[in-house]
Amino acid sequence: MNSVGTKKAGIAVWVVLALVAVSAIAFTSGYYLGKINAEQSVGVTVIDDYGRTIELKGTPARIVSTAPTPTEILFAVGAGDRVVGVDDYSDYPAEVANLTKVGSVELNVEVILSLKPDLIISSDLVPTAQLNQLEQRGIPYVILAARTIDDVFRDLKMVGVITDHILEANDLVAQLQSRVDAIKEKTLADGVSKPKVYLEFYPMWTYGPGSFGDDLMKLAGGTNIAGTTSEEYVPITDEFVIAQNPDVILYTVGSNYNGTTPDTIAARPGWSGISAIADAKVYPIDDNLVSRYGPRIVDALEQLAEIIHPELF
Amino acid sequence: MGKKGATSEWAQLSTLARRRVLVLLGLILLLAASIFAAIFIGTLGPIGPGDPVRISFAEALRALFQHSGDWVPIFWDVRIPRVLLAALVGAALACAGTAMQAVFRNPLADPYIIGVSSGAAVGAASAGLLGLTAAVATFLPPMFAFVSALLTVFLVYFLGTVRRKVRVDTLLLSGVAVAAFLGAVVSFLIYFAKEQFHQLIFWLLGSLSLASWDVVAVVLPVVVVGALVVFLHGRDLNALLLGEETAHNLGIDPEHLKRLMLGVAALMTAVAVAFTGIIGFVGLIVPHMMRLVLGADHRLLVPASTLFGATFLIWSDAVARTVVAPTVLPVGIITALCGGPFFIYLLRRSGSGGE
Repeated sequence: MNSVGTKKAGIAVWVVLALVAVSAIAFTSGYYLGKINAEQSVGVTVIDDYGRTIELKGTPARIVSTAPTPTEILFAVGAGDRVVGVDDYSDYPAEVANLTKVGSVELNVEVILSLKPDLIISSDLVPTAQLNQLEQRGIPYVILAARTIDDVFRDLKMVGVITDHILEANDLVAQLQSRVDAIKEKTLADGVSKPKVYLEFYPMWTYGPGSFGDDLMKLAGGTNIAGTTSEEYVPITDEFVIAQNPDVILYTVGSNYNGTTPDTIAARPGWSGISAIADAKVYPIDDNLVSRYGPRIVDALEQLAEIIHPELF
Repeated sequence: MGKKGATSEWAQLSTLARRRVLVLLGLILLLAASIFAAIFIGTLGPIGPGDPVRISFAEALRALFQHSGDWVPIFWDVRIPRVLLAALVGAALACAGTAMQAVFRNPLADPYIIGVSSGAAVGAASAGLLGLTAAVATFLPPMFAFVSALLTVFLVYFLGTVRRKVRVDTLLLSGVAVAAFLGAVVSFLIYFAKEQFHQLIFWLLGSLSLASWDVVAVVLPVVVVGALVVFLHGRDLNALLLGEETAHNLGIDPEHLKRLMLGVAALMTAVAVAFTGIIGFVGLIVPHMMRLVLGADHRLLVPASTLFGATFLIWSDAVARTVVAPTVLPVGIITALCGGPFFIYLLRRSGSGGE
């Protein structure tokens, strides 16, 4: 009798300690409010990248991801076992090949409902109208829409909180942060040159200010030739690139478009005199690394830094 | 002679009337059967790929008629509103297309001819650009599209009206010009709304994925009343096809008729487009299909097109939902892909056959 009582008291103490720990971590992270429900599991309230407030009762056990970025983030924080369905484009990590596919731009609502998810994590690629409909049917959704590496770290922590993988997420972010710091230490040190970089994600389209690519080029120690344009994604002209005369040219290969090679770039009208082409500094980069705002963005940063500043590595 | 002539005339009329009743009954039955069948079609089955799980016919019937089991929401919240919305939008587009083709006396006229689609697109794009997505309020983007569509129609109507008379050729050209201009505006807005790009493309291709009972409840009265108004003017549309002067001599006010038909068609099209985006080909091709099969009598053509438009879009959407499941194709791709060749087949057949 007594021993049962102490056991109960012991459990209660542990529960309280766990809740305190969770809420402490939660509050120090600063972007969501820990909400504690003593009888049931811990409920959390998060604010997603669209500024929406989402209240979750307990830890979601069945999550559908409707874009590659949340899929990669869920698996990275160790919550891959909670993922019951992914969009058609999710292909990383390899395990997702076996998961149920739920459509892409137009979501397959009946498949999603049949998976009985308690949360959908999506990105800014998916039309919100359909997500709202699912929300009305009782399935909340969280949007990830990072624009910088720091945003990615925030998203990783947020997904860690949502899935109750807070420590894993924080460890991962710390590791990634130290890799980013190691790059920055070299590329952003005093006296290091800032080569002009043209990074195209599709022929004649590049990243403008406030975009992900712009952040990557800056952190990798380059100067984005389109960094002073007005849009996040900019269509660019031959004249502009020739006038800017980039020292390094990067183009994406992979799932989106594979028609570009150093030869097709050199063959563009008037481009042969560009420094990058004269010096043969034209390189491919995996478009899934630069276009998905998950942990692999740090791989992209490392590759970019080594391409832009081979002398530092 | 008089008596005999009257009897044979009556007999002839009666055959026509009987044929008309039979055709319409057939089309009503076809529509009802299509609605019923399409409810069973989907990624989860019973008719369809059945992946990741297959719903059996027994479970489907239980969900449908006894309202029990796990699959009730799949049928009652997802599929039934979607099939009904497909029927309503298909009916609206085909009915509006028939009316437009009669008013313009032009086989290329479709429900979008006076700027409804381009106007709605500008509305949808500006709602997106202003950040007024469905996240703010579900009905806000459709409201924008609807209002902008009607404003555009008023503009085109104003441009096409000379001395208080609707000049159909001027109206047609105004529609084309305004549509081209607004098309450029949409492209421009898309350029500056990269984040909204996916949402807009989704809308521009046409999709029934936003179907819900609320949407059905908004669209239903507009389409039913609109189709009835056009239907009741079938005889007048026949007269209008003979020329405005002839119509006038037959006691019809062509100005009033044109204005009414344009208004009703625009209203039906605008409400459909607001919720589903631009679904092409239905409003152009279904009236022609029916005309090739049934002839140009609008007393039969209007209800036949309306009913068959509903059936056509239901089946197009059923294909869109299952052909590359779990990916759902925009239904506009299917309507063009299936409608185009089928229409050419009918056209060639009627051209080579004994007209």
